[in-house]
Amino acid sequence: MTALAVEGLTGGYAAADHVVKGVSFTVAAGELLCVIGPNGAGKSTVLKLMTGLLRPRAGRVLLGGREVTGLAPRAMIEAGLVLVPQERNVFGTLTVEENLVMGCFLDPRRARARMAAVTDRFPLLAERRRQAARTLSGGQRQILAMGQALMSEPRVLLLDEPTAGLSPKAAADLFALVRATADSGVAVLMVEQNALQAMQASDRALVLVDGRNAHEGPAPALACDPGIRRMFLGGRGAGSMDATGTYREPHP
Amino acid sequence: MPEALAQALINGVIAGTILAVPALGFTAIFAVLNYPNFAIGALATVGAYAGWVGNTALGLPMVAALALAFSATAVAGLVVQWAAVKPLESAGALMMAIASLAAGLVLENALRFGFGNDLRGYDLPLLRDWRFGEFRVGPQQVQNFALALAAMGMLWAFLRYSRTGRAMRAVADNRDLALLRGVDPARVAAVTVAVGAGLAGMGGMLVGLDTSVDPLVGTRLVLSIFAAAVLGGLGSIPGAVAGAIAIGVAEEVAVLAFNPAYRLVVGFVVILAVLTLRPAGLFGARAS
Repeated sequence: MTALAVEGLTGGYAAADHVVKGVSFTVAAGELLCVIGPNGAGKSTVLKLMTGLLRPRAGRVLLGGREVTGLAPRAMIEAGLVLVPQERNVFGTLTVEENLVMGCFLDPRRARARMAAVTDRFPLLAERRRQAARTLSGGQRQILAMGQALMSEPRVLLLDEPTAGLSPKAAADLFALVRATADSGVAVLMVEQNALQAMQASDRALVLVDGRNAHEGPAPALACDPGIRRMFLGGRGAGSMDATGTYREPHP
Repeated sequence: MPEALAQALINGVIAGTILAVPALGFTAIFAVLNYPNFAIGALATVGAYAGWVGNTALGLPMVAALALAFSATAVAGLVVQWAAVKPLESAGALMMAIASLAAGLVLENALRFGFGNDLRGYDLPLLRDWRFGEFRVGPQQVQNFALALAAMGMLWAFLRYSRTGRAMRAVADNRDLALLRGVDPARVAAVTVAVGAGLAGMGGMLVGLDTSVDPLVGTRLVLSIFAAAVLGGLGSIPGAVAGAIAIGVAEEVAVLAFNPAYRLVVGFVVILAVLTLRPAGLFGARAS
């Protein structure tokens, strides 16, 4: 079942400056779609246009078939769409627990129950509940940011470069958590620079170039596509996925 | 001399605790709305007069008069915000600060027009100072100190435990993320202005209880309030309390060495020193 559909989304930071030029895609419930592309391709701008932080010039955003294009962020949360921004995605001076409560700001009566569910999924957050968010490591902050977003029990979760600045180990752990979140039934759209690892964790991938859909398909297939690897990943191409889903370069 | 210094320290801690009340209002407004509201002095005067009217004309007890001072000043603060500051929001923090300064002058002169320039006193019983060996403390000083502590305690509980208080802290920390989590920044800004101005009004009344009420009672506090907020770190709530106590003590100790007319120089010196040596203040990161 399609949880999120984006049709011909167009817009940017200024009226005449369209960073995003007619992007379209769908994400099903329980599916993880990663959006990759070179710098300036419009990946993060797509998220801002979808969540009402920027006003789209054209196109539609549908959540479960209901149009939500251009709604204010508050209305987007109520409709079930939540964004985790790339930077400054937690309240540094608030404790971990307060950060989680802020994730349920519009429905405070459910905060206690939701917090129990989120800390069950991310036990680290329960261990550090009294700690100020600014004292967490980069990876822990990303987990808190995801936990905060999941507090409102979204149908669609948007992640903007969740592994930016993380060590390879922390990034791998985070991808596993994102994968588990999608497997729990949430539709996840993840914008990533760390393209290869992102595709390994995802069901499908969308490649954006110059604000437009360039390629789209099953993530394992795109990860092995020589053209894609040459364009964005710097690989030699024509490799294959092994049984664990890890890409293997061709033998020299 | 050691006794005089110790007495100055006692007086300074009490004066600083009272100064912390309007300094908290000033720094809360700065933290959420990102501009220094220099109408805070005139708003303190509004509170001093509102409390005076409540106490002398309406016969209210001190705590009820303090609540009236808070409420009247909260309304006055919102009027200043909506009529003078908000229309200049797009012009930046400097223009908003200048607008608040102008609105403060209007408020101050409106009070002068309404109440005249005479000194007014609250309806308080005359009580002897309490003596502890070489030291003296006035019962009114102690009452004001306790009321200031109670006001700070209530503010702390509001910010820590209430949904609106948490939203205020969230907006002060990260406005964009707060918006993404469903907080209405305009509503939070209005609550912050009301609470901040209300605290300034309470502070004005507490100072008026200690001295007297005239149209400049709050204006005389502006430099000390600003110095306290800068010293603690603009936008930092614990910083405002620490800064206010430090300024209160420094002003009282300075009187031992210099003519009391130079008391206000302390504020200037502190602002200059902090901006030169540690622009972020003791607890702040925002000002850096």
